[in-house]
Amino acid sequence: MTDILTYPDVVQWAVPFFIAAILIELTWILIKHRGGRYETRDAVTSLIMGAGNVASGILLGFIAWGFFMFLWELTPLDLGTSLWVVAICFVLDDLRYYWVHRFGHRIRWVWASHVNHHSSQHYNLTTALRQTWTGTFTFMMIVRAPLILLGFHPAMVLFCGGLNLIYQFWIHTEAIHRLPRWFESVMNTPSHHRVHHGRNARYLDANYAGVFIIWDKMFGTFVPELDEEKPDYGLVRNLGTFNPIRVAFHEWVGIFHDVTRKGLNWKDRLMYAVAPPGWSHDGSRDTSEQIKQKHLARHPEDAGTPGFQ
Amino acid sequence: MPLEILLILVVGGIAGIAALTWLAGLAQPRQLNEDDATSEWARHYPDDVVQSVWVTHDARAALVMTEQRPGLLWVMGADTVGRHLVDFDLIDEPHGLSVIFHDYTAPKVHLHLDEDERLVWQNLITPQ
Repeated sequence: MTDILTYPDVVQWAVPFFIAAILIELTWILIKHRGGRYETRDAVTSLIMGAGNVASGILLGFIAWGFFMFLWELTPLDLGTSLWVVAICFVLDDLRYYWVHRFGHRIRWVWASHVNHHSSQHYNLTTALRQTWTGTFTFMMIVRAPLILLGFHPAMVLFCGGLNLIYQFWIHTEAIHRLPRWFESVMNTPSHHRVHHGRNARYLDANYAGVFIIWDKMFGTFVPELDEEKPDYGLVRNLGTFNPIRVAFHEWVGIFHDVTRKGLNWKDRLMYAVAPPGWSHDGSRDTSEQIKQKHLARHPEDAGTPGFQ
Repeated sequence: MPLEILLILVVGGIAGIAALTWLAGLAQPRQLNEDDATSEWARHYPDDVVQSVWVTHDARAALVMTEQRPGLLWVMGADTVGRHLVDFDLIDEPHGLSVIFHDYTAPKVHLHLDEDERLVWQNLITPQ
C-alpha cells in the first residue's frame, strides 16, 4: 500500500499567479472602463480572507489529514498513482465538491463557513480568494471519505482538490462574457458562476459546480445567466462591515445567538443550526424558497422561466 | 513553498493591490441621491414600499421611510447597505450621530450631519 506519497501544495504555488491575474484584471478594467468593478477596502478584505484561509490550512490541516490517513489505514484498496487514476480522482473529487458546495448553501452549519465567500457585493478575481477560515469545523471532510476508502491516496485527493480550487479562481470575473458553446455546456465558466454569486431571487441556490457544470445539469440546479437580468452580487442581507473577523465569523455568531435563545424547544435549537439559511421557528425570516415565492407574487410573469421552474 | 517566501508574496500582494486601487481612485466612496437611495433600498428590501427618502448633505447615507418601517441606508465603499431601524441606539457625536445596531453584521454607522440636519434626523430616528 502506498503510504508515503507527496504532491506539491498547488494552491500555495499558485499564489504568484493569483496576484499577477488580479493585476491584469484590474489594469484591464482601468483601461477599458468595463469588465467589472474594484473597490479598495472590498478587495483588501477579500485578500485578507484568502491569506487567513491559507493560514488556517497550515494550522488546522492536520485534522483532516489525520482523518484521511486513518481511513487510508482501514481500506484494503489502493488504486495506485497512474495518470488515469489521478484523472478519475479529479472528476470524482469534483462531484464531491458539488455536494459539499450544495450542502454549504442548504445547511446553515456549513453555510456559516461558506457565507464569507459570498459576502462581497463585487465580483472580481479578489472575490475568488475570499475564502473560509472555518471549513474544518463544518466536518465536510467526511464527504471525501468514500474516495479514500475506494483506494485514492489522501495526498492525491488533496492534490485534486487544490487543482479544483485553482480552476475556480479564474471564473470569478466579469471581464469574460461567454465562452464557446461547447465549453459552456460542459465546464463551469464565469457566466455560470456569476449566476451562483447572484442574490437575485432567480439565481439563488443555483450552479454549485466546481469544474464541470454537468453536475448541476444532472441534479437539476442549473440556471443560465440571462442577458436581461444581471446578477446582483452579495448576500440576501448584505454585510455592513469590511472587518475580516466579522466577515469570517458572523454566521457562527448568528447560530450561537439563535441556538441559545430563551423559550425554544430542542428541535428548534437544532433546526437553527442545520436547517437551510433563513429558517426561523416563528417564520420571521425567509429561506431561498420563500424569497422565490415572494418574487413570483410580485412578478407572476417570471413563473416558469429559468430559476423559477 | 518556503513559508517566508509565501509570507512575502501574500503581504506584498495585498499591499500592492491595495496601493494600486487607492492610487486609481477606487477608494472614493459612492455618492447617494434620492433616486439612487430609493432604488438601492428596493434592491436590499424588495418587499418594502418606499414612501420618502432623506439623503444626508454629505450624500453618504439616507433615511428611508417605508410602509413597513423606517430604515437606514448607508454607503459602504462603492456599494450600499441597509438596515431597518429596529433594536439600535443613537449616540450624539461632535460631527453628527452614530447609530449602533445590535447586529454583529453591521455594528455601527457614523452619520456626518450639519447642525441643522442633526436635529431633524434625531427626531426622525430616535429609538421608540
